[in-house]
Amino acid sequence: MEKRSSAELLNIEQNNSKNASSDSLNSDSKSSSLNSKMGQESESWDKASHSKSFSSSSTSTDNNIVSALEARKDNQVKNLSAGETGPPLLNGERVQGIAHEVTYVCPYSGPVRGILSITNYKLHFRSVDRETPYVVEVPLGVVSRIEKVGGASSKGENSYGIEVFCKDMRNLRFAHKQENHSRRDVFEKLQQYSFPLSHKLPLFAFEYSETFAENGWNVYEPIAELKRMGVNNDMWKISKINDTYSICDSYPAVWAVPAAATDEDLQASAAFRSRGRLPVLSWIHPESQATITRCAQPLVGVGGKRSREDERYVQLIMDANAQSHKLFIMDARPMPNAVANKAKGGGYESEDAYQNAELVFLDIHNIHVMRESLRKLKGTLVCVTNDSTESLRLAYRVTFSNLLELCFPTIDEARWLSGIESTVWLKHIKYVLAGALRIVDKVENHKTSVLVHCSDGWDRTAQLTGLAMLMLDPYYRTIKGFEVLIEKEWLSFGHKFQQRIGHGDEHHSDADRSPVFLQFMDCVWQISRQFPNAFEFNEHFLITILDHLYSCRFGTFLFSSERERVQEQVKHKTVSLWSYTNSQLSLYKNPLYWAAPNYQLVLMPIASMRYIKPWKSLYCRWNPSMRQQDPVYQRTREMLVLKEQLEKQLEEGRREQASRASRSMTSPAPPRIHSPVHS
Amino acid sequence: MESKSCNNFISYVELEEHEMQPLGSSRRNSLSENNIKLLPGESFVTKAQNVLMFSPVSDLNQGTSGILSVTNFKLTFVTTDETNGDDVARQQNHLYGYMDTCLTNIEDIYVTVGDKKRKLLPGNIVPSKNLRTWSFSFKFSPIGDGKNLLQALLHYAFPNKHDLLFGYDYQEAYYSSLDKAVRLFRDISDWHNELERTIRNEKFRKFWRLSTVNVDFKLCRSLSRYIIIPASITDSQLIDAAKRFQGNRPPIWSWSNARGAVLVKMPELLPLVTNRIQENIMFENVRKSHPQKMPPVVLELNKGISVKLIAIAFSKFASLCSPENIRQFWLQDNNFYSLVENTKWLKYVSYCLQKAVEACEHLHLGLSVILQEGAGTDLCCIVSSLVQLLLDPYFRTINGFQSLLQKEWVAGGHPFCDRLGHICKRTSEKSPLLLLYLDCVWQLSQQFPAEFEFTETYLTTLWDAAHVSIFDTFIFNCEKERVAAATDPDRPLVLRSVWDWREQFNEQDILLFDNPLYNPHEADSKEKRVIKPLYNVANLELWNQCYFRWIPTLEIHNGGQNHIELYARLLRNDMNQLKMSINGNCCSPTDKSNSCSVQMNIDSFYPFSNRKSGNIVSTPIMNSSILATKSLLEAQSLITATD
Repeated sequence: MEKRSSAELLNIEQNNSKNASSDSLNSDSKSSSLNSKMGQESESWDKASHSKSFSSSSTSTDNNIVSALEARKDNQVKNLSAGETGPPLLNGERVQGIAHEVTYVCPYSGPVRGILSITNYKLHFRSVDRETPYVVEVPLGVVSRIEKVGGASSKGENSYGIEVFCKDMRNLRFAHKQENHSRRDVFEKLQQYSFPLSHKLPLFAFEYSETFAENGWNVYEPIAELKRMGVNNDMWKISKINDTYSICDSYPAVWAVPAAATDEDLQASAAFRSRGRLPVLSWIHPESQATITRCAQPLVGVGGKRSREDERYVQLIMDANAQSHKLFIMDARPMPNAVANKAKGGGYESEDAYQNAELVFLDIHNIHVMRESLRKLKGTLVCVTNDSTESLRLAYRVTFSNLLELCFPTIDEARWLSGIESTVWLKHIKYVLAGALRIVDKVENHKTSVLVHCSDGWDRTAQLTGLAMLMLDPYYRTIKGFEVLIEKEWLSFGHKFQQRIGHGDEHHSDADRSPVFLQFMDCVWQISRQFPNAFEFNEHFLITILDHLYSCRFGTFLFSSERERVQEQVKHKTVSLWSYTNSQLSLYKNPLYWAAPNYQLVLMPIASMRYIKPWKSLYCRWNPSMRQQDPVYQRTREMLVLKEQLEKQLEEGRREQASRASRSMTSPAPPRIHSPVHS
Repeated sequence: MESKSCNNFISYVELEEHEMQPLGSSRRNSLSENNIKLLPGESFVTKAQNVLMFSPVSDLNQGTSGILSVTNFKLTFVTTDETNGDDVARQQNHLYGYMDTCLTNIEDIYVTVGDKKRKLLPGNIVPSKNLRTWSFSFKFSPIGDGKNLLQALLHYAFPNKHDLLFGYDYQEAYYSSLDKAVRLFRDISDWHNELERTIRNEKFRKFWRLSTVNVDFKLCRSLSRYIIIPASITDSQLIDAAKRFQGNRPPIWSWSNARGAVLVKMPELLPLVTNRIQENIMFENVRKSHPQKMPPVVLELNKGISVKLIAIAFSKFASLCSPENIRQFWLQDNNFYSLVENTKWLKYVSYCLQKAVEACEHLHLGLSVILQEGAGTDLCCIVSSLVQLLLDPYFRTINGFQSLLQKEWVAGGHPFCDRLGHICKRTSEKSPLLLLYLDCVWQLSQQFPAEFEFTETYLTTLWDAAHVSIFDTFIFNCEKERVAAATDPDRPLVLRSVWDWREQFNEQDILLFDNPLYNPHEADSKEKRVIKPLYNVANLELWNQCYFRWIPTLEIHNGGQNHIELYARLLRNDMNQLKMSINGNCCSPTDKSNSCSVQMNIDSFYPFSNRKSGNIVSTPIMNSSILATKSLLEAQSLITATD
């Protein structure tokens, strides 16, 4: 009885939206963070209302503002670009190859014809057959692998071309003409510049130069950060024993240790810890002096070796906190894994050897499990959201509306929740959060110091200490504080970004790759959902960081340790990501941020699956059918602007009044009981 | 011995407020027997001493000791613990306390012996319809107390006759303070006005007429006295046609858009009627009433969904939301996503939203839409209400929303008494259609936070209120029953509308119904602001406040989404103050006449918090019930004026 099928309706919808040019899967801005033209469903039924209904839709223009601002910025850069038709270029970016008559097979709006350019930084596609140009831009650092699809004899439209698999969950498919090896040049250039290290080329960060108002390399000063926490004090001192990275080559040059510890103690402890990563200070409670310290596993081995010096050193950490006569050692691993590590010479602290220490296993799995889980998550989201190769191959031949149905099959939609669950990604998130919460609970509620380690102390340990510090200390929830947190707990303490991300390296299936940092950022996002006012930054900030984790435009996430970065002169030869972010802070500010004193000092999020959600605005951001943005932000921003205008108006009125009755007293200020807004 | 009354929650409300609100407290204090506060007309039945009440979703080891009593209105637990009730920032109801539950709210009673759980027979676990579960132990009670109490509970909580509901016994005189802007659709004028409001174009309006054929409920018992039907049908034709349809109901008009396309609710033909002529005649009449005589689109609402399936889904979902103990809670947590999926609850939410979006698409193209389902009193109510919420901003105001519920549900003959299970009858089909609707509305309010005048607290409170038998709104199956009860010569029922919120709450709590993010957009009201939700399950969320609020483990301390609302409320207050200052009248927030206070350190289920907050920090703000929308509007126009 229904007069129209839903597929027809979709068609109608689509036609309506065409004039809004909303189907671009762009990532126009350099940060490529948010899809400015995602406003696919932002058109409402009433065209008249559309023009003014900027907050009426689920996808508000929130990020359109962001992209618009960034676009403006990029225009300045564009002046340097080669020509009218070429892609906008950054300083130091050069076009390496151009292919005309290429078809981009968009999984959402069908094939688009245009020009594909490859630079030493990015892949840039620009349509030629549409009124509003349709642009796809991907920094080549994001590319994980590239494959040729079809051969010279392949049949069917768009069956010959290149498929690009990205680290940010996108798969891009380009179709070339089947003559004269039209894809060869572009393919080779793509290979070379996506994986420069495999082709003896420099990473783009070393060619890129741009001057920003602020130098992000100055954001983190280890000594200043330790001073902020009150070190040196009676119990803790700054040590420069590692200034030539001779004690531990994956640790920073400066760290803090118990004041009572001698250099010999440190050396002895380092000798008993995996890779010399001895316990050093991460954070100290401003009131109770309870601490979070981090290290690697002890080298216990099958024989159950002991080190009196390490035991004594751990005792010093406990003694540095007068409030408690106990120390918790949080081993991030599941117990069986910790036991298994004994066979490889590692292991865990026995409670007999470490008096007054209590060992807790946090059941967080290793990098390989996490990598698999993310791969599955991609699989699940891809089913619903993206172009699985399977459906694409079929899709070439079918019409537009059917394509939509194929990409969003109802069967997957119906199993969305169990599909998410089966990836176990969220369960891992839950365990990481729960682990961090236990640390926070011990430090905050029991005033007890906590020592955290996993195997090597640079993956799960960084997640746990980073998150615990974020929950305990509001400073790390500001934009600059968060930058400091990443610099300190991740970069300076040697999270192996080079191996985990595989910058410029073509071995996409390398076993060392793992989304450990992504998982940390996901946890941060989960906490920010539970405490919407507690963070100075918005999720656009988190996504920007993640985009540049891969992009190789900035030096921040290159290499695996402070030692390597010093050696490669990263600070001199590259630009810091924080230079970029800190010169446009307004883009990353959370309008709901509320930094009243004593308001939400310590965050205790709930680590229950009932609250842990897939981060759709990150993982599904390429899919126009998913709700991406939070209209609450838009509305709050409107209200803040309105308030500002009222304040201005009041100020003007008062000034007028004052000038009118300049000799008499001005009226008293209006009572302002509470202002949630901090200027 | 301490008994609870509103006055104990002092820190929450300022003193002046109390003096202004003697109503609630005096009422509850009026009669007191065995240390429980009784309402006028409420009578004490029995009690059990030394009962242990377990905290919800705990390990069932620790409990609070107290006296559990049954009256003809509620189950009430009075604790000997002096501190209980103090310093708790949560919604206070004038009619019953936090440790009370209305008998009509009792879903089931279970008895547990060891690990086994038996239903209905004398029991000690009492799940509520609003998902709260009460667990008691009679281990330390005098022998016989528990048994007596359970027998009384079984008797009073599951009445088999309508006039056994407490509403009939309630003696309190009623002076309505109901806002006139809430249209109950009991009078002809409301229908008349609605027709004029929606169809501005007189030419279009002529295609429809207000019929009084059902004024004595002779046409159909489940319809209101007044109905709007195609002008081309005569009353006698309608009577003829109605006989062929389920529930003896003809198709009726719900709403029209500016282009004259209408939304019609229509039942299915009776199962035995094979001749579809009458149905086609009705289709034809709807077509004739279209300005361009376009044929209507029929949306069937009976595929893969039914009243019964919704009930099954909800009972699964409810058990997921009320785990018996903490162990079960964490077990469920391991595969919560697939457990939620298996209940199909979100699938049905998605279904309703999808149908509403479909209907909107047709209406937007200028086509009339006929919603067709069983007797046209269940899913039709949900979908037609949703369509109107999406297309007509008026219904997104509080008064509009209440009027819509009156029009589509109460006047539309949704069998509330059966669906909410007020009466224990074998024939009645219990199913939380109303909750499904409220969930859909909540989803909309999440996707469009600035488009609705009300908050989720309002929606949750509304669901709670549906189980209070004092108000007539949700206790009848149809208008005919309501009229009969109200005009009963022996024992007329006083009709109290649930929309008269002051009967239950003080200004402080009513303030929390106002959505501070609401943007009324009056300035550009020429075009109706349409909203278009995303409806697939991937874009839906679980309504934490309503479903999880009785699980203390899930309460985020000093956090949660409601902090957005709190922040916006203070922001709006700042704006109001600025506006007042600009206009030259300095309004001190300590001004008694219009001050309320906002609690600052709230937990995520506020105002339904489980936890006792240690020290409550609150900030006075201006009573925004007057100022909230108007002043902001003026502020907005001021700004545009200065431009």
